[in-house]
Amino acid sequence: MAATGAMLTYEVIARYFFIKPTIWAAELSQLCLIWGCLLAMAHLLTARRHITVNAVTSLLPNTFQKICVAIALAVVILFSAIVTVWGYEIFYDSFIRGRTTGSLLNLPVWIAEASVPVGFGLLTIQGVGELITLSSSGLFSLGASHE
Amino acid sequence: MTIILILASLFLLLLLGVPVAFALGGTGLGMLILGGFSPLMAPQSILSTLDGFILLAVPLFLLMSNLLLKGGVGRDLFAAVQAWVGHWPGGLAIATIISCGLFAAISGSSVATAATIGTVAIPEMINRGYDKRFVYGLLAAGGTLGILIPPSIPMIVYGFVTEQSVIALFLAGIGPGLLLVTLFILFAMIHARLSGNFDDVPKACMSEKIMASKRALPSVALAALVIIGLYSGAFTPTEAAAVGSTAALFIVAFWLRTLTWATLWEAIQESAITTAAILLIVAGAKVFGKAIALYRIPQDISAFLAQTIEGPIMFILVVSIVLLLMGLVFEALSMILIMTPVLLPAALGLGFDPIWFGIFMVIMVECALITPPVGLNLYVIQSVARTSLGNVARGVWPFLTLMLLTVAILYIFPNLALYIPFKW
Repeated sequence: MAATGAMLTYEVIARYFFIKPTIWAAELSQLCLIWGCLLAMAHLLTARRHITVNAVTSLLPNTFQKICVAIALAVVILFSAIVTVWGYEIFYDSFIRGRTTGSLLNLPVWIAEASVPVGFGLLTIQGVGELITLSSSGLFSLGASHE
Repeated sequence: MTIILILASLFLLLLLGVPVAFALGGTGLGMLILGGFSPLMAPQSILSTLDGFILLAVPLFLLMSNLLLKGGVGRDLFAAVQAWVGHWPGGLAIATIISCGLFAAISGSSVATAATIGTVAIPEMINRGYDKRFVYGLLAAGGTLGILIPPSIPMIVYGFVTEQSVIALFLAGIGPGLLLVTLFILFAMIHARLSGNFDDVPKACMSEKIMASKRALPSVALAALVIIGLYSGAFTPTEAAAVGSTAALFIVAFWLRTLTWATLWEAIQESAITTAAILLIVAGAKVFGKAIALYRIPQDISAFLAQTIEGPIMFILVVSIVLLLMGLVFEALSMILIMTPVLLPAALGLGFDPIWFGIFMVIMVECALITPPVGLNLYVIQSVARTSLGNVARGVWPFLTLMLLTVAILYIFPNLALYIPFKW
């Protein structure tokens, strides 16, 4: 998260001089956004900052809330595990073939694509960890409503 | 049948408390796998979402408003507007609405608008003897202007998923936004005349007015710069957001001198976390949108609506009711992301303009923000004012009525939204 913040600020300064032809600014800041968001996923799970509808679950007794959280975590884990595997396929394919972005900067596309298996892989691990410690933790919801 | 099953499983996941991003993405991925489509599309959709240049505007606009927020701009704005209009009948209420409108022009979020202006305006108004419920309702509703008056995060997201011009959406929000401000002000004046149980604010002298305006001026100028820049085509929304956040940094650091390293860091962190939470939902919705498109669900719904619903007015009525019901439990962004891909093809088939439909959706989700039991603005005002949810909710209904009236006016006069972006 620290890195995301720093990169965002850097990006602002980079964009501010957009009158100058900055070929690299748009592409690099895009890269920061991709990596930042996907790395932040696992952090959001720990910080309970994922946007969640808890109008219904908050009405349930505690045991049922726990069950709901377990189901929710299972969905998150299943989804991220599948995306990790297929995301890796995409990354590996581009990596082997040496595909590039075709822009002036001509970065290899795998730099962006690697963020999917890495981000979702971390999230899977984080999710499994949360699920294991669930019975002892005071966790009743995976996040809060937020805009 | 498939449609009902898909929507039922999506809503079940959402109501079980699965984070919105994963409920959407998971349903989409499940549909891809069951339908025999390549699951490769899921990571591809996620990547292509985050690769959208327009979405870079989200963190930058958030940073801009967070910086101004931490710099205490809400207080300055309210003080300045109050100095000019505070002595009118219902002056404090009017000052509150105008402050909400102005803050909405530098912030893309309703929650931020309600919280910022609420913190300063609620104690002030209650001290002057205004009816509490009226005050809470006013602030909760005034805050919703945040997403109608540009910049607006939900509009960026709507523009992204529908591939419409975000600039046109921003400009189209101005007309209805101003109408809503006017309606709120008229209601506040009438309410003040009828109740009259509050103290008037003494008229501020000229030097006080100038003093107060001086602190608020740069923020207002910044809002004007962003809107004029977008309108004239000088910059894209993303560039406007970048320029805006840099300018915001200068304003709070050098003009107001209210920025510290700690608050700067908080603002950055807060923006980063919110950005990730929002964009992940957009990515999940993209996977879902891709899946329902492959199942040809939007077409089926259009066909179904075409058979059962007669004419555009019935369509808008039905959609409004559905959105109001959804708004009871869902928050703004999820509603836009779930319903837009489902409804837009049908709306286009009936001859609605996609930009007009976007503005309509935004006003409808504004209503969702203030309808209990789940309405983010209600929560915000509840916690700012330390009162019960019921008190806030009871204060909100006249404003809700005015918002629905705005939708009706917008339906009769679509140019209210479309004039500024297309005919001016």
